[in-house]
Amino acid sequence: MLRASVEANEGEVDLRAISDGARDEAAGVAHAAQLCAFAETALRGDAAALADARDALRAKAGSAALVEAAAVIGNFERMTRIADATGIALDATSELASSDFRAELGLETFASAGNTPPAPLWRRLLRPLLAPLARRAMARFLRG
Amino acid sequence: MPAFDYSASPDPIRDDLADAHRAAWAHIAAPGAWLTGAERVAVAAETRKARDCALCAKRKAALSSFSDPEPHAARAPLSSALVDAIHRATTDAARLTRKWYEGLAAQGVTDERYVEALGVAVIAISVDGFHRALGLPLEPLPTPLRGDPSRARPDGLVRERGWVPMIDPDRVGAAESDLYLVDGKLRAANVIRALTLAPNEVRAWRDLAGAQYLTLERMMQLDTGRALDRAQMELVAGRVSALNACFY
Repeated sequence: MLRASVEANEGEVDLRAISDGARDEAAGVAHAAQLCAFAETALRGDAAALADARDALRAKAGSAALVEAAAVIGNFERMTRIADATGIALDATSELASSDFRAELGLETFASAGNTPPAPLWRRLLRPLLAPLARRAMARFLRG
Repeated sequence: MPAFDYSASPDPIRDDLADAHRAAWAHIAAPGAWLTGAERVAVAAETRKARDCALCAKRKAALSSFSDPEPHAARAPLSSALVDAIHRATTDAARLTRKWYEGLAAQGVTDERYVEALGVAVIAISVDGFHRALGLPLEPLPTPLRGDPSRARPDGLVRERGWVPMIDPDRVGAAESDLYLVDGKLRAANVIRALTLAPNEVRAWRDLAGAQYLTLERMMQLDTGRALDRAQMELVAGRVSALNACFY
């Protein structure tokens, strides 16, 4: 959804921010470095580092953005556990749309990747054709 | 002091977030379909205990989270197996396996009790996660309400998209027809299906997500109507997912 939301605005995003964090604005998302640092410190539980990350995000993006980011962190602390603790597989459209970057970002090394069975042969063969269509469909979906 | 009073927060917090958190706590406190109010509040309490649990830390550091057969102790009103399941879902969900899940039934944790407990646990984790991120004290857990579980099992369940039974959107009964409808259209992504064995947990999930992230209707739009744009929200979501080693 990150790439779809950027591409819906005809922008570009460096998806390595997902796996590695963002050290500057090069990720293609405003305040990416501060948002990533906030998420990382919130999950790691280092109170001093988290306080610094909060201050940095507040200074760059404002209090309202800080609160929204905290709410999104809380939300995805939930979503990840629902997905992993029920063993659900990736949906077909997401599987296709993310096929070009999952390995590059190391996502397929996650133990929970085993919950998504290999795509059927026909879909793997047609992936070069279908994946761009799936990406465009997701961006178009967001544009309404 | 009323529950979820955010007036002392240095960062103004939307009223609808406080309302959603109060509703989430009320939902946890009430009897569910398969758990009593006391059991549901105990589940929420275990998500907090798991963070400081020595056994969970030991398992997390191990190459396999199943190499140590030592169980978690039962803590009334929850069985040892249910305490263990909640702790694992809280601290190491990405390494749970189908084999592990399938062993729960023999320990008395039915599909229904597991899915409901998971629904409760993730609500508590989500609200607590918001508080921790903002450096706010955790809200005291609610007082359980008395009453018996409804023992209502939805129609149209199948076990094909994951480990637990989920409602097949093509066979959904009238009482649960709201679960998959968004703006009058059928939306049945696997993450929406996941908790449908406990329909009220899905409804609570949607209500809380609508305040903490986006409503299902808004998820289909670029405009968030919030202080973060969609790409910023998805960056945070993606980073949290990666840190939790969540493939989905």
